[in-house]
Amino acid sequence: MANSPLNVQAAKIDGQTAQKYLIRALGAAIFLLVAWRVITVGLAEGYPASFWISQALNGLVLGGVYALVALGYTLVYGILFMINFAHGEVMMIGGIAGFFTLQFALARGWMEGPWLVVVAALLFIMLVGMAASVVIGVALERLAYRPLRQAPRLVPLISAIGASLFLQYSVLLIFGVSPHSYRKPELISGGLRLGDVFISYTGAIIFVTSVLLMLALFFIIQRTKLGRAMRAVAEDRSTASLMGVDVNAVIVVTFVLGSALAGAAGVMLGFHNTVVKFNSGFVPGLKAFTAAVLGGIGNIPGAMFGALVLGLIESMGPSALGIPTEYKDVIAFSLLVLILIFRPSGLFGEVLSEKKA
Amino acid sequence: MTALLSIQGVTKVFGGLTAVDNVDLEIAELSISSLIGPNGAGKTTLFNCLTGLHRPENGEIVFDGRSLVGLRPDEITERGVARTYQNIRLFGRMTALENVLVGQHLRLKSSHWSAILRTAGQRAEEHAARESGRELLEFVGLEGQENVVSTNLPYGDQRLLEVARALGSRPRLLLLDEPAAGMNPRETDRMMELVHRLRDERDVTVFLIEHDMKVVMSISESVSVLDYGKKIAEGTPMEVRSDARVIEAYLGPEVAVQGSAEAVGK
Amino acid sequence: MRHDTVTRSVKTGLVAFACLSYLILVGIPGRIGGAALPSLALIAALVFWFNFRRNEDFRTVPERDRGSTGAEGKPGWQIGTNHAPAANDTVPLLPAGISGLNLHLGLAAGATTGLLIAICSSVIVAAIGNGVSIQPVFDKMVPLNVAALVGVSPGQIAQADVSPFRYLLQTVYFAGAGILAALAVTTGGARLTDAARSDRLPVNLSAPKILAAGRLAGLALPIVLLAFIVLLGLPGVSAFGSNEGTVRLLLTLVATGSGLFAHRLSRPGRERRIVTVLLGLGVLMMPFVLDQFQNSVMGLVFIYVMMGLGLNIVVGYAGLLDLGYVAFFAIGAYTYAFLSAPFSSPYISNLLLLLNISPDSPLLGYWMALPVAMLTAAIGGILLGIPVLRLRGDYLAIVTLGFGEIIRLFMLNMGELTNGPRGILEISQPSLFGFAPEAFFGLLSSQGWTFLLALISSALIAIVAIRLNSSRLGRAWFAMQEDEDVAEATGVHLVRTKLLAFAIGATFAGMAGQLYAARQINIFPENFSLFVSIDALALIIVGGIGSPAGIVLGALALKGLPEVLRGVDEYRIVAFAALLVIMMIVRPAGILPSPRRRVQLTAPEEQGPPELSDGAEEDFREPLEKKAAPLNGPEKDEAQ
Repeated sequence: MANSPLNVQAAKIDGQTAQKYLIRALGAAIFLLVAWRVITVGLAEGYPASFWISQALNGLVLGGVYALVALGYTLVYGILFMINFAHGEVMMIGGIAGFFTLQFALARGWMEGPWLVVVAALLFIMLVGMAASVVIGVALERLAYRPLRQAPRLVPLISAIGASLFLQYSVLLIFGVSPHSYRKPELISGGLRLGDVFISYTGAIIFVTSVLLMLALFFIIQRTKLGRAMRAVAEDRSTASLMGVDVNAVIVVTFVLGSALAGAAGVMLGFHNTVVKFNSGFVPGLKAFTAAVLGGIGNIPGAMFGALVLGLIESMGPSALGIPTEYKDVIAFSLLVLILIFRPSGLFGEVLSEKKA
Repeated sequence: MTALLSIQGVTKVFGGLTAVDNVDLEIAELSISSLIGPNGAGKTTLFNCLTGLHRPENGEIVFDGRSLVGLRPDEITERGVARTYQNIRLFGRMTALENVLVGQHLRLKSSHWSAILRTAGQRAEEHAARESGRELLEFVGLEGQENVVSTNLPYGDQRLLEVARALGSRPRLLLLDEPAAGMNPRETDRMMELVHRLRDERDVTVFLIEHDMKVVMSISESVSVLDYGKKIAEGTPMEVRSDARVIEAYLGPEVAVQGSAEAVGK
Repeated sequence: MRHDTVTRSVKTGLVAFACLSYLILVGIPGRIGGAALPSLALIAALVFWFNFRRNEDFRTVPERDRGSTGAEGKPGWQIGTNHAPAANDTVPLLPAGISGLNLHLGLAAGATTGLLIAICSSVIVAAIGNGVSIQPVFDKMVPLNVAALVGVSPGQIAQADVSPFRYLLQTVYFAGAGILAALAVTTGGARLTDAARSDRLPVNLSAPKILAAGRLAGLALPIVLLAFIVLLGLPGVSAFGSNEGTVRLLLTLVATGSGLFAHRLSRPGRERRIVTVLLGLGVLMMPFVLDQFQNSVMGLVFIYVMMGLGLNIVVGYAGLLDLGYVAFFAIGAYTYAFLSAPFSSPYISNLLLLLNISPDSPLLGYWMALPVAMLTAAIGGILLGIPVLRLRGDYLAIVTLGFGEIIRLFMLNMGELTNGPRGILEISQPSLFGFAPEAFFGLLSSQGWTFLLALISSALIAIVAIRLNSSRLGRAWFAMQEDEDVAEATGVHLVRTKLLAFAIGATFAGMAGQLYAARQINIFPENFSLFVSIDALALIIVGGIGSPAGIVLGALALKGLPEVLRGVDEYRIVAFAALLVIMMIVRPAGILPSPRRRVQLTAPEEQGPPELSDGAEEDFREPLEKKAAPLNGPEKDEAQ
């Protein structure tokens, strides 16, 4: 009959559970392996504590920037369920715009003025960067994503890849291949020395600014009517629209917020890395996405936390594992792969889903 | 009669909610049985546990003498359990015949190497599969529709196609999840007749969830009632119909006193 | 109504302005001598497009039009035999109702564009003239582009030598161009529409005779072209003078591409067989008659065809979006490089010494290495496949992308094994029974040999892919793509089916990689960047996902055409990227779509959070089921 002779398989052997445990065991093994490597190689190098602290501070600065970009991914994903693949480029545009504003400010001599002028100029540069990113982000939504809102998932992703390439190579054609170097004003180029630990002003400013921007976003989302509308749309788009929420407007606002943060991140990354060029948004974008996934994509505090973790791992990882720093990208991508395999809903995934249930 | 399927103490919990709570059930070979209950009673969840989509926290499911718990859905299908879905889940872009051919997937044995080389055996098997696919479509009443893309079929025909697809795997037990939902009376009659023919001509045991009490009462030999995940009654349609707890479950305690069983499920 | 017209025209003008500024900034006018041409064309196109899109009339074509396309019923005219016509299949016709109102709209749009451009350039020029130092900003741009934007020479900008008269001229020039363009398009469009309405088109397009003639022409074109190219390849024959190479390459691309259409156009049966044989013969002659450059381009095109066909199995058939496909291409290439190049890593040299083999001579020839490369790639495919089994959709895409990058970074940084960025040099060439192919036929150059190999491999891969797809496995892939859970419950072994897709796709990529390594002779990690994956994906999508013929077409268009258009190479990626976006919006199923895919990519899909994996299954599956419940299925059995 239809009964197959697969009797050998004892009824009690449980395929799914076995698979689950296997994956868990594998995860544990990888974790132990990494830990072993850290203990035997990284710690055995005997770096001084100050080295680790500086690395950690560096990581926090990077993490702050990643967090701003990661928030853009998470916001868009939370509402549209699509990965805005071009978000890294939105950030890069912010950096480019910031660069030209900086050139302008330098030429006008603002950067040598009294500190109030310099701060105002820096703020202005960041605002221009944010504005440029917002324009691009909104245009992106309008042209590349909105027509595809009802399409199968693959389609907007491909469109996003196209948009990403388009932005990169347009910038290349318009502004050339060569990197544009940010020149820091005197005021922020120094640093503070605490014992053996050096804290650069730029780093400190970047971190503080990122935190302030994140707090602002958090306030908007949690405390304002707009934020409530956003959360409603994220929860259930059709119901929200029945309740009188203008879904299109909310989506545009989401892109505005995400892009503004990315623009700020672009400018700050410019000051941090001292250069921007046409493809300087790609890898940070990918890393920010990793951060978003790390924290559970769609989850706002998760993205912030994930970004800080990623920043720390990236700056401390290579020394801790005793491998060359060229491998820091490998570490980041491996982390992404591992997270998605072992904990696809991210570190905060459970929190998110319980909230949703 | 021996029990083809026996469920003992099956429990499925979602978060804090026990969707299926310690349910015992027996389905006799070559019977037509129904599972009824108000919305949210855990009926579909029970089906999902049976077909491996969910894994019950507790309990035992024995089909034809062997446990199904922990098997993958495709392994369960291999054992001879097939199902349809409450909200039709056909392979929308495939034609009707292709849907049935996927249903036969497990019963086709030729390897991909033979497909690359297009061996005589593989071609013969494909041919036979197509033939039996057409025959299945004819059996459910979809003759001549084999090349219609399944989303373009009328609603009632889509339900029939789901049955045909399930039959493709040559099941011994067929789980039908609300086969008559959304059908007009004529289509419902056709479906009921099909259920009978499944058992009589194909030797398939049928276990179905249904809301339409007319269907349930007229075709089932035994009826089980779930409420809040618990089995509250079991028996022949007549027995269940007059069971006070069933009436209460459907209509609430106050109405139950004067409520008539005929109103159940309406 | 009036208000609407104004906003629409201003909007059109704004869009035209934005596009035009972009083109100017990117430097296109500087190349083709001034902004007049692109502005005209652009405004015309935009006005036309806006009208076309806004007009509801053109969307539904009256029944009679569809009925009268005579030959429609004949089997040769149907694309794909198992595709039933969709319920509301409509053929877009000309935009109806371009009227006087739209004429005004066009004029206003043109004027807006012109004004905006003029204002913008005036401001810049004025700023320069008044000594505002925006020089540092523009220093960084290509000066020529700015000059084009302002309408002056770069030298004039530097000296701020621009008169106010210039602004006026500017305004008149751009606005005038816009108005003229709008006029031409709107009146022309109205004429055509009127004509279409009263059935006064110059030719009666529905006449069966004309259709038949067109079909025959379509069938004959590629064959004639191929014959012509073969003829040109004979010694002493030349027709195009100094441009010979480029023109012939273009002809080859066109011939191959139109051949695919001809194949579809032919009636199944004897006619199709004849067409196929003729086309096949013609294409097989190509490597012998093309020169080194043309052969090298076509070789690359068909290496990408091989890759595209392999990726198509993963993406098109099994529906697993793989953005790290380059990894297998790289594995194939590096495997062959290890086996055949004089460079060997210390690891491999030691291994060889241990086995008593001299590390200087190639380990294996091309043919012996082929199964090794394929197998290694297949193993790579399975190794990548296992961890991502539980991932779906975008997550899969990103993880595979990460994998691709990891592999590249490893190749870059693992100097002892891969020689790092210095690459592996002097990879040996594929031989023919132990000899270089030149020894056999003086006709076949080394690049021609690569092309021939790529051609034959592509054909083999296409056959394997098509056969697999029409088999039990293909159905399982498709079912999995449609609904993973139901497929599994219907008896499809998900793990095996997915891994097979990954492994088979990777195998073909490995083959392609090996041939690529042989073609390049020297390979470097930079050859295997993310863009290879994206190119491969893009050519599938542009050509038509799931359709082998579409993939050939996509490869010809994306890898072949840029070689012909060498001069505008910088614009290649931008144009291609824009095309990708537009394509997704306008024709998501590709140029030559497979019948199934067409239904899929044009039908809207239920939106909702993707199902991630087992871990998150409970959280996501329930809402999905709830959402998908039909109106009449009131039961919500799940936990709430």
